[in-house]
Amino acid sequence: MTEAVLDRRAVRLEAVAADREDAIRQCGQALLAVGAVREPYLVTMLERERSISTYVGEGVAIPHGTLAGKDAVLRDALSFLRFPGGVDWGGERVTICIGIAATGDGHVAVLAELAEILLDPERARVLRESGEADEVIAILGGAA
Amino acid sequence: MPERTVTIASATGLHARPAKLFVEAAARQGVPVTIRLGSSGRAVPANSMLSVLTLGATHGSEVTLQADGPGAEAALDELATLLATDLDA
Repeated sequence: MTEAVLDRRAVRLEAVAADREDAIRQCGQALLAVGAVREPYLVTMLERERSISTYVGEGVAIPHGTLAGKDAVLRDALSFLRFPGGVDWGGERVTICIGIAATGDGHVAVLAELAEILLDPERARVLRESGEADEVIAILGGAA
Repeated sequence: MPERTVTIASATGLHARPAKLFVEAAARQGVPVTIRLGSSGRAVPANSMLSVLTLGATHGSEVTLQADGPGAEAALDELATLLATDLDA
């Protein structure tokens, strides 16, 4: 892979979202901006969320597209958006959204690696609190 | 300790909808249930979404469920049946 999985331009530590759909759109826009997906992927991210919440616990959601959205994925990539004010996620409060674009079956491995990171108190703390995008990239850059 | 080994039937593997349904079902059981990949992987709590995701179980992966105590057998039967069903269908 020649391009970084988590591009600096796809990291936002102080994002604000009106609601869950807005947050998901922003995660998708970040993936779009770094050339990891084409526009139609964003619609499938919203479809996935309506079908089943991507909330995984600990205030973290991992929006990603449906299988039908795979055609719109150009390369494996992540986006990282932190919402310090929180976003209501069907009754749960989300402060971290990690948008995922994965080709083929890559998403299962990406999710497994992400989950390992989020269960590790030290790395999870950096994701929650660090003011340095580079620290977030250092942790998530290897997650695919 | 009672256990069941089962093959993941869902086409997309054990994540998203199938994982959610499984984790919710595990949380409803009266006994703690663990799940591990294959027969020798690390056992993790079946009622934690993040823990279940770390398994990276894909379609056709073999996983082993384990539980102990009153109701363990029934809990394992229910969860094993769930995993042996294509939950994406």
